[in-house]
Amino acid sequence: MSEGLNYTFLIDTFFIALSGVPITLLVTIVALLFALPLGFLLALTRINQVPILNWFSRIYVSFVRGTPIIIQIFIVYASVPLILSLFFEKYNININVYNINPIWYAFIVFSFSTTAILIEVFRSALSTVNKGQLEAAQSVGLSNFQAYRRIVIPQALVVAMPNICTATVNLIKATSLGYAMSLQEITLKAKVAANVGYNYVEAYIDIFLVYIILCSLVEYGFKLYEKRLRRYKYVSA
Amino acid sequence: MEKYFDISYIWNSLPVLLPFLRVTFMVAGLSIIFGTFFGLILAVMKLGKSKVAQKIANFYTTVLRCTPSIVLLFLVYYGVPALADNFGLYLHDLNTAVFVVITFTLQFAAIMSEVIRSAYESIEKGQFEAAVSVGLSPLQAYRRIIFPQALVVGLPNFGNGLIALLQEGSLAYTIGLIDIVGKANLIIAANYNTHALEIFIALAVVYWVISILIEKFFGKLEKVFSKGKQTINTN
Amino acid sequence: MLKIKDIHKSFGKNEILKGVDLSIDKGDVVVILGPSGSGKTTLLRCINFLETADSGKATFGDLQVDLHDASKKDIHTIRQKTAFVFQNYNLFNNKTAIENVTEGLIIGRKIPKAEANNIGKKALDKVGLSDKYDSYPSLLSGGQQQRVGIARAVALNPDIILFDEPTSALDPELVGEVLTVMKNIANEGTTMLVVTHEMSFAKDVANRVIFMDGGVVVEEGTPHDIFVSPKEERTKKFLKRVLPEDYTFYI
Ligand SMILES: Nc1ncnc2c1ncn2[C@@H]1O[C@H](COP(=O)(O)OP(=O)(O)O)[C@@H](O)[C@H]1O
Ligand SMILES: [Mg+2]
Repeated sequence: MSEGLNYTFLIDTFFIALSGVPITLLVTIVALLFALPLGFLLALTRINQVPILNWFSRIYVSFVRGTPIIIQIFIVYASVPLILSLFFEKYNININVYNINPIWYAFIVFSFSTTAILIEVFRSALSTVNKGQLEAAQSVGLSNFQAYRRIVIPQALVVAMPNICTATVNLIKATSLGYAMSLQEITLKAKVAANVGYNYVEAYIDIFLVYIILCSLVEYGFKLYEKRLRRYKYVSA
Repeated sequence: MEKYFDISYIWNSLPVLLPFLRVTFMVAGLSIIFGTFFGLILAVMKLGKSKVAQKIANFYTTVLRCTPSIVLLFLVYYGVPALADNFGLYLHDLNTAVFVVITFTLQFAAIMSEVIRSAYESIEKGQFEAAVSVGLSPLQAYRRIIFPQALVVGLPNFGNGLIALLQEGSLAYTIGLIDIVGKANLIIAANYNTHALEIFIALAVVYWVISILIEKFFGKLEKVFSKGKQTINTN
Repeated sequence: MLKIKDIHKSFGKNEILKGVDLSIDKGDVVVILGPSGSGKTTLLRCINFLETADSGKATFGDLQVDLHDASKKDIHTIRQKTAFVFQNYNLFNNKTAIENVTEGLIIGRKIPKAEANNIGKKALDKVGLSDKYDSYPSLLSGGQQQRVGIARAVALNPDIILFDEPTSALDPELVGEVLTVMKNIANEGTTMLVVTHEMSFAKDVANRVIFMDGGVVVEEGTPHDIFVSPKEERTKKFLKRVLPEDYTFYI
């Protein structure tokens, strides 16, 4: 069986895998747009020990960090249709839950898990910014909100950036589990192409390459941005 | 009418699922042992003088950091036997667990190489210099002075690595390993795909509890090992 | 007892040591003075093989070694015969004061633990830390840490102790306690090579002073030679800068 690689297939499928990138990126970006502000707000509730929210955030983070994403996907994919169909039944809305585009489930799952990861990222970044910074800002007459916006957050962002980068790369990787929701992203597209002639080795090499390119670009982008943030830090310091 | 959600499925599935943790732990344990060893080699390459070795080790780490577990898993599952064919080896009937262990060894090695490297680099050079200046051999200096201190620094990251490994390992069912997740899917299939949610919740609870236990354990361990950091009452 | 011949050392393109000779007899207390960056630390580190010199020879009693390519065994032997006191102490963070002192004895020299503990306690007593045997470094003040560092060196009973600016990381009010300890061990006849900016120590304790600048020994002699009648222009300039105007009046 050692007929070697099918290079035509290898090249063709590379482009099929590549055609899954927009969906992967869309899910990633939507999840981040949702998770960045929410994660930050919930991190503030942790830092400032806001009674119930603080406690809620802790359990939420612990759950997401303690369970595999694939199981989170299973749970969302099994529970959301149940809940929705109950809801639709009750209000006599005529939508078949099984016709919902899986991308909506992907948005839900990945926003849910990324928010939890970012709560931790922001919490540790905020706690590294010296308390004196906030006090100094207030002492020169800034309001609490202004002090956060102008003094604390810019510094915390510099600290958080490498971890936000890691979270983003992990998120992109995690979208490869979208297959469990029939999400038409990189992995599923290439795999379906391979089903015809059992060219799995070639397909996975292609998928592998696409992820490496994608993640390296993202890491590179973050590095550039970090540099700019740091320069700003030095100039303003 | 049948209930949509029946909590008794959670309780009833747990005794069936839990024995399959043995498979989960065995696969994870082997990956940890091999991965730590391989990670140590990578860390030595990264910290050593050879620029080529540094490049290779860093490249390896970057590539693995960028590869989703499931992609690596299938690449190994399909790729290793295909590669072996070229050398006249027939590996297509190999136990699934072997592929899983290979995959997570490769992945854990990348994680561990970074854990070890950063732990080592957090120890000031002066500690080594002081050790050899009082007449310890370099090997003794590493063993008695550097290693115990680096261990404390690296322990929390090692714990996080373990939790990550365990969670990524949940994907092993995709190539047919009957670990706890594989068994859960079998149970669901036997129920004609009904009550999947309850079984998944049971799975989530099991993983959640294990992760919390690992976290707690490493918290304790760190306290035990951090000699010289805690406040110790003299006399 | 210790002779260094024509030692050279560069970092990249910068030549830091440009042929330094040094000769120390048993019981000598030699102080090296010189502006920052003149290569004093590098010289000490090369003697203890913490840096590898580009060339140079060392004679240690009847042991002759090439400072550039000494064998592992010779390096080990020389490190056993010398001790080093670091500017930033470098106490082992994971060991108590007494363990810091006995580590080299028990592990390096294979001295039985009980005996090593006795030696270690004596050394700590000598530096005034009888009540700190079991303290970890993080609980000690800078002055106390450096005194443990000195005890760690003394306990090894080495042929020579190398000191690299042992007081310059300390708060001014803690310098005195460390200098006193150093003076005491000098008075016991310990051979010492000391890099310091403490002129009073050089004047009162040293029997020889070396002035280094730009990687070479500019001038050497008794404290009187150097402080009262320096010959070289560079020495005079340096002293003028570091000594109070009327310092020489008190010599
Ligand atoms: N490891 C090193 N790499 C590069 N340059 C060094 C290193 N160590 C010392 N130097 C340089 O060598 C010069 C002399 O340093 P040093 O011996 O520490 O001087 P001193 O102790 O007299 O102040 C300095 O300019 C310093 O920057
Ligand atoms: Mg110096």
